[in-house]
Amino acid sequence: MAVAAQYYLLLSAAIFCIGLFGVLTRRNALIFLMSVELMLNAANINFVAFSLQHGNLTGQVFALFGMAIAAAEVAVGIGIILVLYRNFSDVDVTKATTMRW
Amino acid sequence: MVDPTWLATAPALAFGAAALVLLLADSIDPDTTNTTVLGGIAVAGSLGSLAAAVYLLYGGVGIPTGEGGSGPAVLFGGQLVVDQMALFFMTIVASVTALVTLASMDYVREHAYQAEFYSLVLLSATGMSLLSAANSLATGFVAFELVSLPSYALVAFLKKNRGSVEAGLKYFLIGAVSSSVLAYGISLVYAATGVMRFDAVATAIQSGTVQTVVDGSIEAQASGASVQMSILGVGIVMIIGGLAFKMAAVPFHFWAPEAYEGAPAPISAFLSSASKAAGFVIAFRAFAVAFPIGALAETGGAVDWFVVFQVLAIATMFIGNFAAATQETVKRMLAYSSVGHAGYVLIGLAALTATGDGMALSMSAGMAHLLVYGFMNTGAFLFIALAEYWGVGRRFEDYNGLGKQAPVACAAMTVFLFSLAGLPIGGGFFSKFYLFQATLNVSAWSLAAALVINSALSLFYYSRVVKAMWIEEPTGERTIESYPTGLYTAIVAAAVITVLLIPGFGYVSEVAFRAVELL
Repeated sequence: MAVAAQYYLLLSAAIFCIGLFGVLTRRNALIFLMSVELMLNAANINFVAFSLQHGNLTGQVFALFGMAIAAAEVAVGIGIILVLYRNFSDVDVTKATTMRW
Repeated sequence: MVDPTWLATAPALAFGAAALVLLLADSIDPDTTNTTVLGGIAVAGSLGSLAAAVYLLYGGVGIPTGEGGSGPAVLFGGQLVVDQMALFFMTIVASVTALVTLASMDYVREHAYQAEFYSLVLLSATGMSLLSAANSLATGFVAFELVSLPSYALVAFLKKNRGSVEAGLKYFLIGAVSSSVLAYGISLVYAATGVMRFDAVATAIQSGTVQTVVDGSIEAQASGASVQMSILGVGIVMIIGGLAFKMAAVPFHFWAPEAYEGAPAPISAFLSSASKAAGFVIAFRAFAVAFPIGALAETGGAVDWFVVFQVLAIATMFIGNFAAATQETVKRMLAYSSVGHAGYVLIGLAALTATGDGMALSMSAGMAHLLVYGFMNTGAFLFIALAEYWGVGRRFEDYNGLGKQAPVACAAMTVFLFSLAGLPIGGGFFSKFYLFQATLNVSAWSLAAALVINSALSLFYYSRVVKAMWIEEPTGERTIESYPTGLYTAIVAAAVITVLLIPGFGYVSEVAFRAVELL
């Protein structure tokens, strides 16, 4: 194999952490959604890379499922952000605080 | 064997079929608000699922043929396995869904999007049923998302209600992060072991070599690569994190009080009972089958996950119950108490020893508690739905004197609350006692102490509601104009079953114990 498996792990871990950082620091719900996509796709990198490494297709199949689920998740998420905008006139996730924590 | 084999998934298929029928009915007549028809289809689907689950459970699916059963139904090369444990949880899910859909008939009567409401509930229930039977990380993840996605939409269902939208947003954001953590954890387990089927993962851990599944049978990989225990360990911890979200366990519980408070009350009942049970069933199966603690300890111990669960269980019990004790509104109190109950059920995965002793007892105690909890907690939230229907306020004081105006519903609520606290007025006493036994069995004193202390504390805040309903005098004018049939039927049915679970508990715990043994 051209690239050793641990470099794929490093890449995916880096992307996962970038996504997690975005989730924890960004206030805009749409950027939040993008960060979650990064985290999901980090998992997909692992799946595809180790599918090649192990020589079976299980990981690639999971990556396909993962992409479909990510698309469904975004569809629901955009819907919720849309009603958020209608009710609070903003997509800032820290503005919606009618209930206390 | 059930013939054809796919019929063993009938409990999930019934939900899915009813959801599709609802969508069909909605496309024929998009403007209909005929609750009787739409709600009727949903209730019929749930009862069909319940009947199928109970029939298969009694029919011995999952019990070995040598003992008079018909063996587990294995589908899709072992991706789905319908056994006693799957059917036990399918029964819980179907019962809760039946109660919730019945109660919703009054709650959403005036609403314009009823068909969508019911079909989302049923699709989510389909996911829960499938999750009970999932025997691989792949099917588990897909079913997990099928549970989550409709429930995000359901929490935000009251589009013009700011509380509901805010709850939906928080639930969605935390849920999306958790499912990506879960997906990443699964990818690491796959990277380490090369397989996703639970039994194959266990083989990989036991043998220490990467496995592959060929034509449904597990084989060692030709290259003979060994399992990287450190990667596996990180993967297992991330899977625990992802699942802890669905169970509403600390530290992933932040969404729970918000989502349960803001959501329409029947949906709160649905999420806090059925969705929680679904989170636990996949955890039970994954950790009993795929990550056997004994083998993990022998092969160098990637992670002693039962210690992680012990910490989670104790933290969840204390934080849930102490937060519940300080609440001013009844619904939020119940939401936190539901977090606390997740802690009790976590004992099922925590009261073990390093060699895996005590698993059958503790896990079956957790399952039995989930069943009893399914009825008493659903009932309690449906009573809140009834109070919202009447326009009673949200605070404890607003419930003052309600016992005089609605004695039947308040008597049922009293049963639910005392049973939740663990008094022997409902099945809750026995399930907590069984959990207590499981902790003593493996000398897990800290878990036993946490269970007793928190049950005693919970009696304090549950009895505040009871005191308000029966002893206090009503403060303001309140007139109750109608007594909705659907809600009342659901609440009374839940109360009757909660009480019947006192004599029936021996049987339930036997079935649960057998189911864990057969895993």
